[in-house]
Amino acid sequence: MHYPEPISKLIDSFMKLPGIGPKTAARLAFFVLSMKEDTVLDFAKALVDAKRNLTYCSVCGHITDQDPCYICEDVRRNKSIICVVQDPKDVIAMEKMKEYNGQYHVLHGAISPMDGIGPEDIKIPDLLKRLQDETVQEVILATNPNIEGEATAMYISRLLKPTGIRITRIAHGLPVGGDLEYADEVTLSKALEGRREI
Amino acid sequence: MYIEQLSLKNYRNYEELDIPFKNKVNVILGENAQGKTNVMESIFVLAMAKSHRTSNDKDLIRWDKEYAKIEGRINKQHSSIPMQLLISKKGKKAKCNHIEQQKLSQYVGNMNVVMFAPEDLNLVKGSPQVRRRFIDMEIGQVSPIYLHDMSQYQKILQQRNHYLKMMQLKRQTDYVMLDVLTEQFIQVASKILHKRFEFIRLLENLAKPIHKDISRGVEELEIKYKPSVDVCEEQDLSKMIIHFEEKFSKVKAKEIERGTTLFGPHRDDLLFFVNQREVQTFGSQGQQRTTALSVKLAEIELIQSEIGEYPILLLDDVLSELDDFRQSHLLNAIQGKVQTFVTTTSVEGIDHQTLKEASIFIVKSGEIEWEN
Repeated sequence: MHYPEPISKLIDSFMKLPGIGPKTAARLAFFVLSMKEDTVLDFAKALVDAKRNLTYCSVCGHITDQDPCYICEDVRRNKSIICVVQDPKDVIAMEKMKEYNGQYHVLHGAISPMDGIGPEDIKIPDLLKRLQDETVQEVILATNPNIEGEATAMYISRLLKPTGIRITRIAHGLPVGGDLEYADEVTLSKALEGRREI
Repeated sequence: MYIEQLSLKNYRNYEELDIPFKNKVNVILGENAQGKTNVMESIFVLAMAKSHRTSNDKDLIRWDKEYAKIEGRINKQHSSIPMQLLISKKGKKAKCNHIEQQKLSQYVGNMNVVMFAPEDLNLVKGSPQVRRRFIDMEIGQVSPIYLHDMSQYQKILQQRNHYLKMMQLKRQTDYVMLDVLTEQFIQVASKILHKRFEFIRLLENLAKPIHKDISRGVEELEIKYKPSVDVCEEQDLSKMIIHFEEKFSKVKAKEIERGTTLFGPHRDDLLFFVNQREVQTFGSQGQQRTTALSVKLAEIELIQSEIGEYPILLLDDVLSELDDFRQSHLLNAIQGKVQTFVTTTSVEGIDHQTLKEASIFIVKSGEIEWEN
């Protein structure tokens, strides 16, 4: 299929986004052509602004338009707890809960030797620096419950052991509100391993 | 459990195929290179979501086509369940009872098969890899947790080997990270070992009387799991973990020097003994075959005891490899209870009641004919 150059460039750009293949990209590109010019300009500006004006918070590593970010700035929040997560998206997920009142630390990845990501390639050194300040009493490790996330949590916990800071790992197992019969075997066996006395 | 109907589309040399099977012996008859084994393989793939012949799924797709589809109706506990496996160049999609299964580990195990092919006669004398593959295939069929642990194990092993390689090249020097990877490795490795010990014990108990029978009462079979780390099977999980930890702390320097993981379930083996002598080294050809046969028959019984139904048995070109006595023993063992598929180039010379009652399917270059 031959497209005029401007539109083929646009299709190409859309295809750089995750989850978008050639067909969806073409559909989006043609839709852009039918949009009002103002809307298109706003759209383009939003893209550029998001890239230009957003940075990572120098304290926790979360995405922000001011430095430090609104969470780190907030004086009402508990400074003695830090929740360690892999991605800024995880911070958003935790914040939606509205139950957690502590600080965050975003690692921007997990340790994975196979992909050439070692401990110093993610924000672990920054975390250690932050913890030299004595106000922190607990570190919650909320990395993903897969092999890389687990290795990262174990690594951090080993480094922090000598400091005497309380280190906790989030639980995994059955989803709340779900039925036992619908859980897959692996999740169920994890839930059984992590059972506790009541 | 048995297959009522099998449909193939663009599978190997079959463009389109739709055959009904009976719950007894089905003989697939044909000259060489007509597609007998392809039918067997398709049944195996439908059950296990991977082939026993190739690790490349693309090989299963008919030349020049985009995808291959295998569909089967499985009769299980008196109800009929449709299973479907779609193999495309991008990957596999599995459906059981019309519901798409996100994880293949959820799909495998819905249908149980035991394959006995000429390669299986190598179970005893072949490389340890053959025996480990056998163990993994069989436990995987009855335990989805084991499948999950195995896939985790492979990933952790890769991560750890990669890290050891980096340490060998001095691009990484952090020992804490190595300890973390070792701990993760031991956690899963000990679970796998525990399960394997249990499986081999069950298998041995079932194979012993069968072997005695086939050898006309003169041979006593023993099966031993030989771990690369010195642990014994009576140990519980926590003791095993301690053993592993001791071993790995001792070999740390050596592992870094070699840049790879030197011990673990991926280095283990299985040993067979007949009258206390190791079959692999001291057994005759005949003893090795008898051992392979007893193990396979034991496996059928094992699956029956785990899931309450007999699996489907696939005998690919093995009848001709066995002598008359072993042939009739095999056919007696399955008579009337196991749906069996047999491929052969001719039925002459095999004189057994079971085969006389069998349905015959004649394969000729990708087409199959049968009598009702």
